[in-house]
Amino acid sequence: MNINATLIAQAVVMIVFVAICWRYIYPPIVAAMQERQKKISDGLEAAKKADDSLEEAKLAYEKELDQAKSEAAAILDKANARASQIVNDATSKADVEAEKIMASASTTIENETNKAREELRQQMSDIIIDTTQKILDDEISNEKHEAILKKAAQEL
Amino acid sequence: MASELTTESYISHHLTNLTCGKTPDGWTCNPYMVDQMGFWAFHVDSLLWSVLLGSIFVLVFKMAMPKKIDPNSVPTKAQNFIEMCIEFVDDNVQSLFGSSKNPLIAPLALTVFVWILLMNLMDLVPVDFLPVLAGHIAYALFGFNEATGGGVEWIKGPESLYFKVVPTTDPNITLGMAFGVFVLIIYYSMVVKGPKAFLAELTLHPFGKWLIPVNFILEMVNFIAKPISLGLRLFGNLYAGEMIFILIALMLFFSSIPVGIMGFGLHLVWALFHILIVALQAFIFMALTIAYLAMAHETEEH
Repeated sequence: MNINATLIAQAVVMIVFVAICWRYIYPPIVAAMQERQKKISDGLEAAKKADDSLEEAKLAYEKELDQAKSEAAAILDKANARASQIVNDATSKADVEAEKIMASASTTIENETNKAREELRQQMSDIIIDTTQKILDDEISNEKHEAILKKAAQEL
Repeated sequence: MASELTTESYISHHLTNLTCGKTPDGWTCNPYMVDQMGFWAFHVDSLLWSVLLGSIFVLVFKMAMPKKIDPNSVPTKAQNFIEMCIEFVDDNVQSLFGSSKNPLIAPLALTVFVWILLMNLMDLVPVDFLPVLAGHIAYALFGFNEATGGGVEWIKGPESLYFKVVPTTDPNITLGMAFGVFVLIIYYSMVVKGPKAFLAELTLHPFGKWLIPVNFILEMVNFIAKPISLGLRLFGNLYAGEMIFILIALMLFFSSIPVGIMGFGLHLVWALFHILIVALQAFIFMALTIAYLAMAHETEEH
């Protein structure tokens, strides 16, 4: 173990290597590490923000959905009401129409019946007059017995 | 020419550095001239591995990061690994250094940690592998040729070349780094505390102003002990670990077959345990470097 100039040479070599490391090696690595660290923390923050806004969006979406649902229910109710009203209206209209038709039909029937009856009565009275004329021939004249005949026709 | 391989020569071969230095005859790497070199000699193997591993650290940390950093891209696996290292070092700097901001501390701690870890890891390469390889390469390239007289005179065979591969088992390397830290401690003490306060800390401390010489001696011991203990702790741990690997290797080569087989088992166990030491010592060196520099930044009075 002898100490010689190697010691000084090694000290110089060490200073050179430390200087190289200090000047060229260490700073870029640390800079890169810090930059990445910042990038990662920024990324994490952004992710947290995105998470928050997602939560917000979810809440807004739910609110909107609820509103839409209630609106839809209201519209449905209205539509149902309107539909049943239309049905009711139609039903009552039809009832009225049917009644009207029935009424007019029964009037017509009555009229027809009356007409037929009148005609029948007319024919009957004619037949009776004819027959009676044939039976009585001269004894009864149309002019003389008008009143009697009329009464008879009325009785028929 | 190859001397008999004995236990002693095996061990000493593994504990001797490839040393190049200045002798009266000029610069040489001849191991037989080491005694004449004096202070101006360099452990070429330690420095080579130290620079090589430091360059690996720099290149890996530079290459793994994409040229243009795009925060939107997913980091690669290598990038993740590097960022993990940086975060580990940063955490330690945060907890030891605390509030005061000094942009040099974290890169310093990172360099020291990764570099020492790599140097320590060389201990896990089997002890003979790289020295023998280096010896053969050196012999093939520069070997002394008796017939022509070519080549390098002292490389007479592959074993002529000493080659240690674990820089941190060389006290010059560990103390050199501790010395670098020491310089930084003094520099920041001067800059942050101011020379006056720094001097006051060294002289007025345990006993007040009437015993300044005593205070100075005590504080100086404390002050000098920091880098020396820092360097020697790392050296001692790794040297001992290396030593045990060498001794286990001896069991394989110089003993009977049963002992050799036991040696394999021991080698495995020690290598596994040594992984802990490798990482722990790198961590301790880094942590103490941060702690000492944090002390240099403390401005409050005791």
